[in-house]
Amino acid sequence: MAPLLEVRNIKTYFNTQDGVVKAVDGVSYDVNRGETIALVGESGCGKTVSALSILRLVGEPAGKIVSGEIIFDGIDLLKLSKEEMRKMRGAKISIIFQEPLTSLNPVLTIGRQISEGLEFHKNMSPSEGMEEATRLLKMVGIPHPDRRVHDYPHQFSGGMRQRAMIAIAIACQPQLIIADEPTTVVDVTIQAQLLELIRNITKELNTSLILITHNLGIVARYAQRVFVMYAGNIIEYGTALDVYHSPYHPYTAGLLGSVPRLDEPRKARLQPIEGQPPDLIALPVGCSFQARCAYFVPQCLKEKPRLIEVAPKHFAACWVSQKELKPWQIL
Amino acid sequence: MATNKTNAANVSQRPVHTLWGDAWFRLRKNKLAMAGGIFIILLSLAAIFAPFITHYGFAQQDLTAILQSPSAKHWLGTDGLGRDTFARLLYGARTSLAVGIFTQVIIVGIGLPIGAIAGYAGGSVDNILMRFVDVMYSFPSILLIILIKAILGGGIYQLFFAIGLVSWVDIARLVRGQIMSIKSRDYVAAARAMGGMGPYITERHLLPNSLGPIIVTVTFSVPQAIFAEAALSFMGIGVRPPTPSWGTMINDGYAVIFSSWYQVLFPALAIALLMISFTFLGDGLRDALDPKMRH
Amino acid sequence: MADIIIEVNNLTKYFPVTRGLLRRQKIADVKAVDGVSFTIHKGETLGLVGESGCGKTTLGKCILQLIRPTSGDVIFEGRDLCELSDKELVPVRAKLQMIFQDPYDSLDPRFTAMDIIGEPLRIHHISKGREYSDRVSELLGLVGLAPYMAQRYPHEFSGGQRQRLGIARALALQPQFIMCDEPISALDVSIQAQIINLLDDLQQKFGVSYLFISHDLSVVRHLSDRVVVMYLGKVMEISNRDELYKNPLHPYTRALLSAVPIPDPAVEMKRQVIVLQGEVPSPMNPPSGCVFHPRCYRAFADCTKVVPLLADAGGGHQVACLLCETSRP
Repeated sequence: MAPLLEVRNIKTYFNTQDGVVKAVDGVSYDVNRGETIALVGESGCGKTVSALSILRLVGEPAGKIVSGEIIFDGIDLLKLSKEEMRKMRGAKISIIFQEPLTSLNPVLTIGRQISEGLEFHKNMSPSEGMEEATRLLKMVGIPHPDRRVHDYPHQFSGGMRQRAMIAIAIACQPQLIIADEPTTVVDVTIQAQLLELIRNITKELNTSLILITHNLGIVARYAQRVFVMYAGNIIEYGTALDVYHSPYHPYTAGLLGSVPRLDEPRKARLQPIEGQPPDLIALPVGCSFQARCAYFVPQCLKEKPRLIEVAPKHFAACWVSQKELKPWQIL
Repeated sequence: MATNKTNAANVSQRPVHTLWGDAWFRLRKNKLAMAGGIFIILLSLAAIFAPFITHYGFAQQDLTAILQSPSAKHWLGTDGLGRDTFARLLYGARTSLAVGIFTQVIIVGIGLPIGAIAGYAGGSVDNILMRFVDVMYSFPSILLIILIKAILGGGIYQLFFAIGLVSWVDIARLVRGQIMSIKSRDYVAAARAMGGMGPYITERHLLPNSLGPIIVTVTFSVPQAIFAEAALSFMGIGVRPPTPSWGTMINDGYAVIFSSWYQVLFPALAIALLMISFTFLGDGLRDALDPKMRH
Repeated sequence: MADIIIEVNNLTKYFPVTRGLLRRQKIADVKAVDGVSFTIHKGETLGLVGESGCGKTTLGKCILQLIRPTSGDVIFEGRDLCELSDKELVPVRAKLQMIFQDPYDSLDPRFTAMDIIGEPLRIHHISKGREYSDRVSELLGLVGLAPYMAQRYPHEFSGGQRQRLGIARALALQPQFIMCDEPISALDVSIQAQIINLLDDLQQKFGVSYLFISHDLSVVRHLSDRVVVMYLGKVMEISNRDELYKNPLHPYTRALLSAVPIPDPAVEMKRQVIVLQGEVPSPMNPPSGCVFHPRCYRAFADCTKVVPLLADAGGGHQVACLLCETSRP
């Protein structure tokens, strides 16, 4: 069965005062129906920009999707008109943002904000919309939904606001939800609540989910497949199990090695990755990870590695691992 | 296979920019601000070197040449007493600039300490001081200046005082706001955690970081003072003749406005240009000093 | 166990909420910290973990007297810091330092790196001239930065490097104790590990004690020798790091532990997530009895009435829960 979403070789560049920032530089991934995938990486790796590119929410004229295709349910989203794209957003594909305080309109009630989408996409009347909004608030676990539907965002706590955002996102029963760091700003127990809620809802509605995060634990718990990004490229992907237990890229291995785990006895030292992420305006020739890599060979400095299948359904972009060597393998 | 430690070396590769250097760089790019700044400098130089630019005095009357239009002899014409308009403009600039700048000394001298004390002390001290500021704000400033001037009487120094005594409220409020916001910053907490006490923190952290908005406000306050002087002189209660003043010139020109309208035009234009120059400069400084607008 | 260097006894900090224009009437108290006691030993890292609103940051600032506690005492070197005036605290402050969460806010943007690191030396009038710049270079080296960076301004450094500057500054006076207030939360994952290792190394080298405040349980457990779990201004549990994971006694601790996902899909597949109901209540109006009872999945009738005592449940493992015999007053 064809994937629901196929991102093919997307390049999104930003024009800034200091030069062209290649935020996303040839990224491809796919999402199957009902599947949850994760886009993992640190700040500046391009995961958020690639997701915004799917929805064509990249800020023009500074930012532009320079090339590539985004095939959603057989249609190339980049070829749609602005009007047609607007019909997609919120209806077929919706997004949950990181910071609900700035993503919600402070002067509209929560009910209105949910109902807006319903009126636009499903042609409901305002009163029908409010009724549905109440039902949705109940579904996302907000107590007293019939009262709360008339409240304003500032009257909700952080966790509640995120639930409201989830309600807005699922209102029109989208086929794909993009969750961009949905729990970074909330506490750990609220994070657990929200992620469990998202998991249950996506299962119930058979929605696909793209989970964007830098938290390796969340990925391990919720994602079936994971795509690791660094400096605007995907450098490794596969099932969560494969990537975590047998990383074929030193960055992935480094990330896994630098995160303390609750269940392991205390290690003497963490194994951090030295150095800083590269400046996206002045990327080096060859592999972008070279400056921080402990294992590079001369080829890494000359040619940028391509993604190659290193194991069944497991791809990595690294010259060293393609030679069947994995000096970073943690046993 | 080599190990590659780039930890230490990976500071930004862009050249070192001090904060003031960066601000100056950005200011230079702002054409309006630069134009304003250059105009102010040129006018100041012209005012200082007035005796070398024109051989006419500001009070030099020539009753044989009254109300003349601009000509080769009198570049901007003459007024009702035959005084050369250009010369009066130049000497008048001295007054305007002096008022503009010296009032700031009083304004900052009163406003900054009051604002700093209110901001740092907080609580009831802040409450009392700010209610006092509110009261001052509720009076129309021009009327208050007139009132104070009437009490003080006299000439230009009393005028500085009158304007200064009324206009310090803006700076006080600004400084208080700045101090209060900076007080809650982590680096101030860090200084306290190291053992720094009030005066040290105020001097080394609070004031330097408030400097930017203070400079901008002072730059905007100058045209207000210039205008206040011109308005008062226009009404005849500002500087006394023979001290030259653009306001007085407008008043004199007003009498003959229908025949020699340029007698009003030139001083009015001068006031407008000087005020707008300071305003452009102030705008430019605000943008240049705003740390969020870097890049 | 090594000697105790800091003893916190029954510390409280209430913030009054007032109403009224001229005659300010108090209508309630925000009980940010409500009776907290623990000890910190020489060379130890005590982790302080809890979610927002639990009072951990306020507690940290109270220990350092940056906020003056409402009641209780903080004993250091035989004296109660709460009783000392600001002036008397100055020499003491040299020994108790702090690292902040926000790498962008904790450094004065108008100071060079050298000014920042050297500030403690200047305030305490220690070393001038050659000695001063040597010491600053030494400190820069200790945190992994090159000497030439001394002339740069904070905005020219990355987040991780700024945090290193903050650490260098905290070390300048060779303190006995450093309070680390969420020092790595604002950093990328790979940079976090660098800073964690740095803090570890510095502790090995200088024997400095840490109070490590964080909401990230994995990090706290990695660095700490013992862990304090706080909720709504009160201590729920204190235990050493291994006991905490193997045998958490308090239901809140269990929920907290289960909520933290472990970066291993195989492990995660087998775990049960305890999902707490509801939100964290406001510290202005804490629940009666045990403050955790509204969200507790093991609460029973007494929990709404009785405040459990923080008591030793065996081997230094303290817990405040009525499920444990020892907590019943």
